[in-house]
Amino acid sequence: MLNRIGVFLITWCMASSAYAEPITITDQRDRKITLDGQPERVVTIPIPAASMFIAVDGGTKRLAGMHQLSKTAIKGRILQKFYPDAMAIPSNITGKGFSFVPNVESLLALNPDLVFQWGHLNDDIIDPLVNAGLKVALIKIGKESFTRRWLQIMGKVLGKEEKAAQMIAWRDEVKDQLKAKTDAISPEERPRVLYFMNYLSRLRVAGGKSYNNFYIDLAGGKNAASELGLFAEVGPEQVIAWDPEVILLNGFEAKLSPEDVYKNPLFADLSAVKNRRVYKMPLGGYRWDPPNQESPLTWLWLSKVLHPEKFDWDMAKRIDKNYRNIYGQGVDAADVKNILRFDMNASAANYNIFAPDGN
Amino acid sequence: MENIATAQVEKTRFRPGLFSLLASILVISGLASLAIGRFDVPLTHVAGILASNILPMDPWWSSVEARVVDLIRLPRILLAGIAGAGLAVAGAALQGIFRNPLVGPQIIGVSSGAAFGGAFAILISESRLLLIGAAFGFGMLAIVIVYTISRQQGRASILMLVLSGIVTSAFFSALVSVTKFVADPDDKLPAIVFWLMGSFASASYDKVFLIAIPVVAGSTVIYMMRFQINVLSLGDEEAQALGLKVERTRWIALTAIALISSAVVAAAGVIGWVGLVIPHFARMLIGPDHRVIIPISALIGATYLIHVDNVARTAIAAEIPVGIITALVGAPVFGYLLRRSANKGWTTE
Amino acid sequence: MIEVDGLSFRYGDEWIFRNVCFSVEAGQTTAILGPNGRGKTTLLKAIVGLIKAETGTVQLNGRIGYVAQRAEIAFAYDVIDIVVMGRAAQVGLFRTPGKTDYEHARQALAQLNLEQYADRPFDRLSGGERQLVMIARALASQCQILVLDEPASALDFGNQDLVLSTLRRVAEDEDLAVLFTTHFPQHAAHIADQALLLHDRDRQEWGPSSQMLAEDKLEELYGLPIQALEYKRDGQSGVTFAPLYS
Repeated sequence: MLNRIGVFLITWCMASSAYAEPITITDQRDRKITLDGQPERVVTIPIPAASMFIAVDGGTKRLAGMHQLSKTAIKGRILQKFYPDAMAIPSNITGKGFSFVPNVESLLALNPDLVFQWGHLNDDIIDPLVNAGLKVALIKIGKESFTRRWLQIMGKVLGKEEKAAQMIAWRDEVKDQLKAKTDAISPEERPRVLYFMNYLSRLRVAGGKSYNNFYIDLAGGKNAASELGLFAEVGPEQVIAWDPEVILLNGFEAKLSPEDVYKNPLFADLSAVKNRRVYKMPLGGYRWDPPNQESPLTWLWLSKVLHPEKFDWDMAKRIDKNYRNIYGQGVDAADVKNILRFDMNASAANYNIFAPDGN
Repeated sequence: MENIATAQVEKTRFRPGLFSLLASILVISGLASLAIGRFDVPLTHVAGILASNILPMDPWWSSVEARVVDLIRLPRILLAGIAGAGLAVAGAALQGIFRNPLVGPQIIGVSSGAAFGGAFAILISESRLLLIGAAFGFGMLAIVIVYTISRQQGRASILMLVLSGIVTSAFFSALVSVTKFVADPDDKLPAIVFWLMGSFASASYDKVFLIAIPVVAGSTVIYMMRFQINVLSLGDEEAQALGLKVERTRWIALTAIALISSAVVAAAGVIGWVGLVIPHFARMLIGPDHRVIIPISALIGATYLIHVDNVARTAIAAEIPVGIITALVGAPVFGYLLRRSANKGWTTE
Repeated sequence: MIEVDGLSFRYGDEWIFRNVCFSVEAGQTTAILGPNGRGKTTLLKAIVGLIKAETGTVQLNGRIGYVAQRAEIAFAYDVIDIVVMGRAAQVGLFRTPGKTDYEHARQALAQLNLEQYADRPFDRLSGGERQLVMIARALASQCQILVLDEPASALDFGNQDLVLSTLRRVAEDEDLAVLFTTHFPQHAAHIADQALLLHDRDRQEWGPSSQMLAEDKLEELYGLPIQALEYKRDGQSGVTFAPLYS
């Protein structure tokens, strides 16, 4: 009994000391932020930050608010299954759509200890928060190294540095493993890949400076639009001139499906269309196209899409294993099909290589 | 003898030579543009593809090339040409009716009115017909507002006109923002944003017909009223004293202008400066008579926008928004024309 | 041709003129005189129908041609194109002037000896020539009544003579009823058969020029001494008026 009380006391002391100790982090704009202790209420404004926060923390308790579009990536998908409570977290702190302008008073009402905000946009979305006395950590998007930094910052803030380090190590491991194999692929063997950031109302593709370009290279392809910068609108004729062999469709346009490309008469002669190699990007704990906590799975999936004869990763197994590491819960066959968008991709050439039950 | 002399004089006044020259330039520009693009199609193939649309023949070209020429370039060139002609005609007519060289569909608020109408239509339905209808309705409303605010004792001063245009445009731009604010971010909002930006990149024969019917109808009405626009340009009182039914005539013309401008906005977004610069250029070329200016502006406007779009679609791999090029070219050219054309068409007093 | 009976007009609460009565027959010319702000232009506009009178009637037995005070034209159209606009009423909506319309326009120009200006831009003409072009435009509409607002007031002596003499000749040739406003009694004396003096909003005098254009009446009208000067030189004779400035 005494022993148990002693253990309890020690644990309590450790816990309280952990909470009481000030934490200093350096954000991606090189600003130093000092917290009195581990935050209990955190708000994330960048869209992918919410699911990454949940992943690092392994739960939703400390997430006090998120972006509206963060929630739409959770709703009806795997994270809702894992964390049904996530749906109750407020998501009305910004304007609609891709707006990152917070309503400062709504935000203050949530009483957050820390707010994550984009650091590469306009300072007008930052200053009002700082002026209101909130602690704000700024993060940036675009490079793999940036994403690693998110994990480090969140790990440190949440006292989950070990888990964050594991997640980073997993990224490095998969990246190195894949790179070793795909580096050997000659430029001629690399299929031309085109990623559509927008397709339905206009055609907008990812250029050479995008994150998408990074993982297309890593997975053994070459970005057909690498001559462009980040994202740019192009005409259909330019798409035909590039003649992509594989087309990737973004996860943001919810209704967009490969059928939209297959039935477009302008694109009937594209190699990707003739060979039925148009794919909707998967959606797991977050959309797989931008950087996120599951990025290594994106890379593996894409390498197998591009080179089915070279790679035979068991995606179902890998998803299950890594989801247990990240979220502490596994997935069943139906979940895998859901994540890999069998609803839209099933009719693509050879997509059954991804089927969890082998058919 | 006297009659023949008169008839000859009247005939040369309308410069059939210039008309055929400009018409040939337009046709040649259109055909040449079919051979320009990011995708390489040899000239002989372009010619063959075009001919095969009329004559049965065995292709010596690939099906991709046929698609590029027939389904991408041709509708796009038609769309740009129709939009250019429509904007120039609308601009020429507006400048005549408002007796003002600074007037264009954009300055007068039609474009922002139409932009709001279209955005609102996207918000509440998916109907394309409603889109063009609402664009037209609110484009028209914008003209009415500008006209009402700016008119004092029967005439609209340059300053009042420009100011009321700014006020009206600002108001409708605010309404566009409201529309965006209340739109569903997953679905409607991107649709509205992309539509507002406008581009010829998504040209299709559907869009060509969508814009061709109102633009051709509106331009025909304007062309038929070319003499009445001359009379209107004298000012309300004189026109009325000359026996013109001023209010009725002006409203018919303004309706036609709103129809043209809103159709162009509906199909290709807000494209500025064409309606302002082209009529000015035409006036410098051939004098102020609207009976000549209106058809000449149509030819020049079509040619101009086809070439602007050639740059927009071929200069770099990415699409350059057409409105950026028309503004970059239009603003300095307009400044230059204003300085030079003091004696060409506009009275010096 | 023109029959004005009991015409009254007001802007808001302020009456400009009340109960104006006069008439002009075909072949007759009537001048309207009055100080600034007495409503000469307003009266013309009410007669032409550009503004609506409060009470009274205007009877016009024939097509009316109106020449406004200052011809402001935004576009420098060629003269013939301006004159042909006189045909606007006959041309009709959605139509352009045809051969007949151009014939009438050229006839009107010929009548005023302006043929050589037909293809010149309007803004290259002198003030007097412009005024004549405006008269030609009215004539092109084949009007029987010509109403002019200060046709010669803004012109130099030579151009005054050119416009007035031309006006008189055309009126005689075409048997027109002419009504015009002027600040100069000598203009009225030169070409008008009758004169209408607008003394006050309630008091007008109308009669033959010979009676109306008398020193005492003009002194009352303008409020300063005026000397009538008869002249006779080189076969021309008439009367002109000199104000005696204080």
